[in-house]
Amino acid sequence: MILEALEREGVEYIFGYPGGANLPLYQHLPEHPKLKHILVRHEQGAAHMADGYARASGRPGVVFATSGPGALNLVTGLCTAYMDSVPMVAITGQVPSTVVGRDAFQESDVIGATSSVTKHSYLVTRIDQLPRVIHEAFHIATTGRPGPVLVDICRDVQQADAERVTPERLAIPGYRLNGHVDLEGARQAAEALAGAERPVILAGHGVILSHAEHQLQELAEAAAAPTGTTLLGIGAFPVKHPLSLHMTGFMGTGWNLKAVQNADVLMMVGMRVDDRVTAKLAGFAPKVKTFIHVDIDGSEMGKNVRPQIELVADAKQAMAAMLPHIGELNPGRAAWLTQIDAWREEHPLRFKRSNGRLQPQDVLIDMYRRARSEAIVVADVGQNQIWAALWWNYDRPGLFINSGGAGTMGYALPAALGAKFARPDVPVWCVAGEGGFVMTAQELSVAVEHQLDVKIVLLNNFSLGMVRQFQDDFYGGVRSQVELTHMPDFVKLSEAYGMPATRVERFEDIAPAFDAAERTKGPFLIDFRIDPEANVYPIVPIGKTLNEFWEAPES
Amino acid sequence: MSGQIRILSVEVEDAPNTLTKISGAIRRRGFHVRGISVGPSREPGRFRLTLQVDHGHAEADQVRKQLERLVEVLEVTDLTGDEVHSRELVVAKVSASELEALLRRGAKVISTAADGTTVEFSGERDEVGAFVDELALHGIVDVARSGPVVMRRTQ
Ligand SMILES: Cc1ncc(C[n+]2csc(CCOP(=O)(O)OP(=O)(O)O)c2C)c(N)n1
Repeated sequence: MILEALEREGVEYIFGYPGGANLPLYQHLPEHPKLKHILVRHEQGAAHMADGYARASGRPGVVFATSGPGALNLVTGLCTAYMDSVPMVAITGQVPSTVVGRDAFQESDVIGATSSVTKHSYLVTRIDQLPRVIHEAFHIATTGRPGPVLVDICRDVQQADAERVTPERLAIPGYRLNGHVDLEGARQAAEALAGAERPVILAGHGVILSHAEHQLQELAEAAAAPTGTTLLGIGAFPVKHPLSLHMTGFMGTGWNLKAVQNADVLMMVGMRVDDRVTAKLAGFAPKVKTFIHVDIDGSEMGKNVRPQIELVADAKQAMAAMLPHIGELNPGRAAWLTQIDAWREEHPLRFKRSNGRLQPQDVLIDMYRRARSEAIVVADVGQNQIWAALWWNYDRPGLFINSGGAGTMGYALPAALGAKFARPDVPVWCVAGEGGFVMTAQELSVAVEHQLDVKIVLLNNFSLGMVRQFQDDFYGGVRSQVELTHMPDFVKLSEAYGMPATRVERFEDIAPAFDAAERTKGPFLIDFRIDPEANVYPIVPIGKTLNEFWEAPES
Repeated sequence: MSGQIRILSVEVEDAPNTLTKISGAIRRRGFHVRGISVGPSREPGRFRLTLQVDHGHAEADQVRKQLERLVEVLEVTDLTGDEVHSRELVVAKVSASELEALLRRGAKVISTAADGTTVEFSGERDEVGAFVDELALHGIVDVARSGPVVMRRTQ
């Protein structure tokens, strides 16, 4: 019954792991060849794979896990998806309804443990609830602000027989979707933007989720408003566009931060305005007279920054509604754009090559050159993530995937595999540090088993680089527990899993290694032994305002 | 302090997870419950909660918005600052000799027994507070106090 319901929802892949409490599901799985089940090596891997699948395809990712430890292993993956508004449906087995609450074998309160990291959850104790619940779960996961939904199903319910009913029309009275745009608000927002002397637009993940990139570009051009993105918004605006401010936030580009800190009107679209974007909140965008906030989730309004104009709506519809009202621009605009260009010159992205070691930026520049705005790049967490974000040079959205909100190390490999399942036609690159990589490296089995053509770019700096940099820069230079010694030989490790790999230590070897990777069909890993002292710049010191960013030393 | 308190009337689904979800959302956002009462609503399958919540450092309206995000929550009405009828109930057992002063304040006797007399008193939060203070002077055997029940006054 559950499997039929999944077929009805158009599910193609399930990422899962069996166990005592979901055995009935697995017993009947072979009868449903349309549902392709990917056996992961750890449930966290299943959640991240489903997440990568969802971000790359726009369809909800589906996960199976058993009760107790199986379901609890999903928590990090659910949290990652929840923080980044990724549609997912997790179906977990629960002990039989007759023993719920008696601390039965492998019983745990999964609903309780996941409530704060799911958009919604259901405990199913009766078969007649099932068709409705599954249908609702998919509806809630994919509409409005998307997110993970968990359905915990008692084992006896999985086995129960019942009349096959197709769920009636949805009736979820407590589920509100913010539909139409407040047209008066849209007009005011447009007028504020056009009338601003120093406008800035920042775009978040919501712009990508709502496929609003064209509206964003039209609006930015019509209003001649410099436009940047958040880490999760990367790709929403072409990096090489003359109005581009590239990435914002505490590791954003210098010219972006200058623009934000000097803007008089700041429009924030499809973003949460979290502390990684604002740095010290009290000093965020201090010259702004009018904040415009567009988000589909009304609770984002004023959660961190109080907007003067708020539009609770889908980003695409909101910006489309604003466009016709962009009238004459403030005459100060030309001077503002000239100023932005000057800041771009003064504060370029740069890095030092002086010590003869392999620089991560050189690796990524070559990777992006080959990717030509076409490949999906999935980054892990840490320095590797920020380098991959800053050296991103695409003109298209939806191709940069990373755990922005939760910052989950170990995300990249399984998410990249999920993305490849979703888009077998598109090259997929996985960028990771060696610390995060080994957190979920067991999923290499999945890559090899399914011969997934994913190229792994390991930026190996023999340390927890980001933490090492924070210790160096902000915690008195005390390096504590950040050296990663006794790591495996990653080439041998890959070979042990049955996939080819190579190692690169010198600049000259970057291109040949990438050539080899591209020639190989199937997974391939390159262990780039990078400069262990390489740092991420710009960076805003902890507790400081965006104005106070540090830059890379000039080379 | 009282400026930090929102008074909300919340219509919710009668589901196993409803209270957990509501209290979870309140805790996670750094709010604090100062008073709560729950009872069935007029509609079958629904309950009405009256909540007094301290919104801490968040914007006042965040309490309503965060509750509205929950699928189990059907409607949130913010009654803060409105003209309302608000009642809390206190039930107390005192020794019979102490009854007089309490009756003068408007308490009603529910039952009398050898170990004490049980009285009830209802009123606005402050009145109930004052009544409880008074009780303290008279040697309470036992006391139980409810959260608020609030309804908007009709014009
Ligand atoms: C699961 C988890 N644990 C801890 C952290 C804290 N953390 C953030 S970045 C980082 C270092 C990552 O090191 P590595 O994976 O080698 O990447 P690098 O920064 O060197 O590129 C750590 C430990 C985290 N984000 N996620």
